[in-house]
Amino acid sequence: MSGKITNKSMKINLTEVQLDILKELGNIGSGHAITALSDLLNKKIEVSLTSADINLFWKVPEMFNNHNKEVVVIYSEIPFNSDLTIIQIFSKKTVINLINLLSEFKKSADNISNINDLDDFSYSIIYEIGNILSGHYASALADLLSIKLMLNVPKIAIDSLNAILEGIIAKYSQVSDYIITINTGLKILDINLEGTICFIPPTEILVSLFEILNINYEMEL
Amino acid sequence: MVIKIKTYGRIEKIDKNGDVFLPIGHYFLTNCKDKPEKIHPKLVIYGLGSCIALILIDFKNKVCGMSHILLPKAHQNKVIEYPHKYADLSLKFLMQELIKNGAVRDNIKAIIVGGSRIFDLDENFMGIDNIKAIKEALEKLNIKIIGDDTGGTEGRGVIFDTKDFTVYVKLTKELNYRKI
Repeated sequence: MSGKITNKSMKINLTEVQLDILKELGNIGSGHAITALSDLLNKKIEVSLTSADINLFWKVPEMFNNHNKEVVVIYSEIPFNSDLTIIQIFSKKTVINLINLLSEFKKSADNISNINDLDDFSYSIIYEIGNILSGHYASALADLLSIKLMLNVPKIAIDSLNAILEGIIAKYSQVSDYIITINTGLKILDINLEGTICFIPPTEILVSLFEILNINYEMEL
Repeated sequence: MVIKIKTYGRIEKIDKNGDVFLPIGHYFLTNCKDKPEKIHPKLVIYGLGSCIALILIDFKNKVCGMSHILLPKAHQNKVIEYPHKYADLSLKFLMQELIKNGAVRDNIKAIIVGGSRIFDLDENFMGIDNIKAIKEALEKLNIKIIGDDTGGTEGRGVIFDTKDFTVYVKLTKELNYRKI
């Protein structure tokens, strides 16, 4: 989305340049995260262009492909002035592929519909992938902004993407009707792996974020 | 402070199969006076997590409405653009619209679906608050709840057939829709 976006319930004005800066934050973070994953798996990973968007709360699920499908979401919170969120979305098949790649168990995607169906070992593999991705994402952001960011323990949900996003949308649309999403897609062709890393900065922190980066920004509350 | 409330969020478009997908903060009415031709679409929400689907029906006059609620209470904003985002406002406005379209207040019954807790340990997430808020609001207005499928830890799919006023619900794990 380009140009100026205004919302009367809470004024959000972002110029093209400011959106580009958010996109760059996403690029740096996801770049570090994906390099780490690539080291772990010892595979080449294709990364799509990062996109930064401001959307009305009800349009957020449309930002993702297959938002009616069942997916695995790893959710990490970073307490900063107000919580930053990084979510990683993988298809069920992708997660099973990852578990099979990193362990010796062979599983099939049809059997797994709930986290309770996974054994502890595969469960902790998903946690670990989540920790590695969001940990590197956060540490890259922390270096860039010279602030201290500490991750909370990630949470995992296996459900329809719409249902999972609702809780996150509810959290971020209490003050404003608009939600910023910074998405990066990743793909490993030879093991058929696909996913999305999504960074959601709450609109309240935009002022302090741009202040750190020395960019003019005013917001009316 | 005067809060200005706009009434965005009414869905009127119906897709080829006669389905209406209801996004968050939106609502749908059937049997409206401003639309003389009788249409009976199926209202669907795929993936209802912490949100609530509120369905109000007047069986006698065959007027009904459904809204997709996100939060329990309206925040103190100067302008509220999507009142159906909030439980308290959504019930109020949906009742008003139904009565405007020929429903009788005493005949209106409610069905609520949703409000699950998707992530474990989620103290910030709204599912339980939403159920509480909508039940309190319904009790205040003395509206009887005739169908209740709330809580749990899984997402739901909801289909509301406005032809015979039946509601079908499916947990994500379940294969088939069941009637409530």
